[in-house]
Amino acid sequence: MKAKGSFEKYLNRSGWWFVAPAMALFSVFMAYPILSSLYLVTRRWRGLRDSFIGLGNFVRMLHDGLFWHALGENFLLMIFQVPIMIALAMVFAVILHHGIRRFRGAFRLILFLPAITSLVAYSILFRILLQTNGLANNIMQNLGILQQPIAWLNDPFWASVTIVVALTWRWTGYNMIFFLVGLQNIDPEIYEAAEVDGASKVFQFFKITLPLLTPVILFSMVTSVSGTLQLFDEPNVLTNQGGPANATMTAALYIYRQAFVINSDWGYATSLSYVIVLLAAVLAAIQIRVLGGRNK
Amino acid sequence: MKKSLMAFLTLALFVGTAVLASANSKMVTVWCWDPNFNGYAMNQAALVYNKSHPDVKIDVVVFPNSDAVMQKVQAALQAGGAGLPDIALVQDFQIEQLVTNYPGVLADLKAAGVDYSQFAANKVGPMTEGNKIYGIPFDTGSTGLFLRADYLKAAGLNPAHYQKDLTWNDVITLGEKVKAKIKKPLIAFDTTDWTFLRMMVQSAGGQWFKADGSLDLSSPAIRPAIATVKKMYDAGVLYPTEGWGNWVSAFNNGDAAGLMSAVWIIGTIKSQPTNAGKWMVVPTPRLSGVSGARNASNWGGSSWYVFSQAPNKAGAIDFLKSTWASTDPDALEFYNTILKGAGAMGTFLPSRVGSNYTAKDKFFYKDQAVYHDFAKWMADVPNLRYTANYNAWGSAISASLSKLYKGELKTPDDVLTDATTMYKQSISQ
Repeated sequence: MKAKGSFEKYLNRSGWWFVAPAMALFSVFMAYPILSSLYLVTRRWRGLRDSFIGLGNFVRMLHDGLFWHALGENFLLMIFQVPIMIALAMVFAVILHHGIRRFRGAFRLILFLPAITSLVAYSILFRILLQTNGLANNIMQNLGILQQPIAWLNDPFWASVTIVVALTWRWTGYNMIFFLVGLQNIDPEIYEAAEVDGASKVFQFFKITLPLLTPVILFSMVTSVSGTLQLFDEPNVLTNQGGPANATMTAALYIYRQAFVINSDWGYATSLSYVIVLLAAVLAAIQIRVLGGRNK
Repeated sequence: MKKSLMAFLTLALFVGTAVLASANSKMVTVWCWDPNFNGYAMNQAALVYNKSHPDVKIDVVVFPNSDAVMQKVQAALQAGGAGLPDIALVQDFQIEQLVTNYPGVLADLKAAGVDYSQFAANKVGPMTEGNKIYGIPFDTGSTGLFLRADYLKAAGLNPAHYQKDLTWNDVITLGEKVKAKIKKPLIAFDTTDWTFLRMMVQSAGGQWFKADGSLDLSSPAIRPAIATVKKMYDAGVLYPTEGWGNWVSAFNNGDAAGLMSAVWIIGTIKSQPTNAGKWMVVPTPRLSGVSGARNASNWGGSSWYVFSQAPNKAGAIDFLKSTWASTDPDALEFYNTILKGAGAMGTFLPSRVGSNYTAKDKFFYKDQAVYHDFAKWMADVPNLRYTANYNAWGSAISASLSKLYKGELKTPDDVLTDATTMYKQSISQ
């Protein structure tokens, strides 16, 4: 008994040595910034001039219409974009898995390619395509679909639509890959059994595929929702710093502007970040509760 | 074989390190952001300086953009000065933010003996704090109205008739004529940027802020300027575009018959060689009915700053003084070189005599000596107070202006009220 105990201790000790480098990096680059951000939150910070203001940043936040507007835009984009993208990703995954035999690899590549495109590069491309005298409007006008060009980037409504379209283009393939992996992990015998019992394809999809994919869907939704909450590059580049007239300003972009563009106010920017983190955590908890409840 | 190679490399490493170490005291590090513009200019200055100081190495580090330099500088300042360069290039509209938020970090070059009366007044203003003046002015953003002479002719007008000091009302009349005749809007206009309005207000000596940095919208130029922009927009004189790339293609492709911009746009305009001989530049139009309105304004420009904690502060100051702020023939010739080589027009007034300043430019209509004209207008530009809140105000009023174009806001006062509300929220005053 005693020998085993000391061996365990030995294992334990070497285990700690193994994780020590990771722990050291974690403390310096994660734990320390998080702890020191608690200090930043209490300060009005402009460059080298800062002063203690207690909860002043949060009071200020309550009166900051632009921040709440930005947060509203985040939720609006999330409500429309995440379901569209998840549904599309699911459709593509099922078609790729069950539907087609030939060129499967090529299609998979085409769908996944956007996900490895640089965020800034694709935002600039979409910007060029969608400007008022850009390719998209020109083609649709020449085909007679449109009489007047659509102000994709210059109208508050269409600018939000543009971001939804861009995000869907960028991330559908990424989520599709998770669904494909999930589909490949479902035992084909289950489908064979259902087939024998005379279940239709649609019935199979809703009664077998969807329930068995729930953990994957949950993962996709949680990451997509928190990704949308942190949305930054698209409104910054594609719609030109949250334009038109701050219509597509998102919380993360606003935080960046407070810290680096408008004020160099690190204290206020950090306080705003806390709100985002909190919201992301609450939303993730809700989704896990709703979708993951069955497994527990 | 392999071993001897290793030994050689190790030796090379040691020697290299030793050379670097000995050179450190004779090294001046500069941060800037455009290899073909300010980076090029600084390297040219280094060549001039090295003639008399061959032992000093000027290390010019080029960043992707001005934000990257600012962020790195701010990080170094937050870290108590660790990793700062000796000299950094800062945009004129950002320098007051740096001076206000980071007191005492810049070296006072007036105390070091720089004669600022030799530089364009609107460049010295932003870098002045009380009795101290930081920085050496770099390039001017002297503005002008670029017009397509061939379009004016096509509209049955005589281009020469417009090569004089115009008012904005003249421009609106001209724009309506051109629009009626050849169906082209006169001026390519970026709807996402408030610079156009800002240039108008600056040309009349208007200010947005008091000296203490608080917003003050009582300048008599502001309301007429907003009304003028709206009038031009509604009259179809402006060709609305969204952002930089869209704007550039609008005037380079000939969708619009002109644009308001600064001397540094010349390179962009020349990038469309098919337009050779078609462009002309006239002085910035002035606001009618506003006293003190001039035919000169400014857009952009940046300046060099030395940090008070710089590793080689004395070396950096000596380098800047004997190149950028010197009437030595070599230094003046250097200004002439960077004008030709990069289209960078300095703001050191004695430098404006160089051959490239007076040369006729074949690219322009009737070989207009454009650099000569921009240099002449430069000395006339009224000073604009940027303060630490310039960015916050700019993004607020840009948003309100786009509501004005759409008709959601009607009057100049509506715009100012709307922008003020947003501004106050974003800076919490």
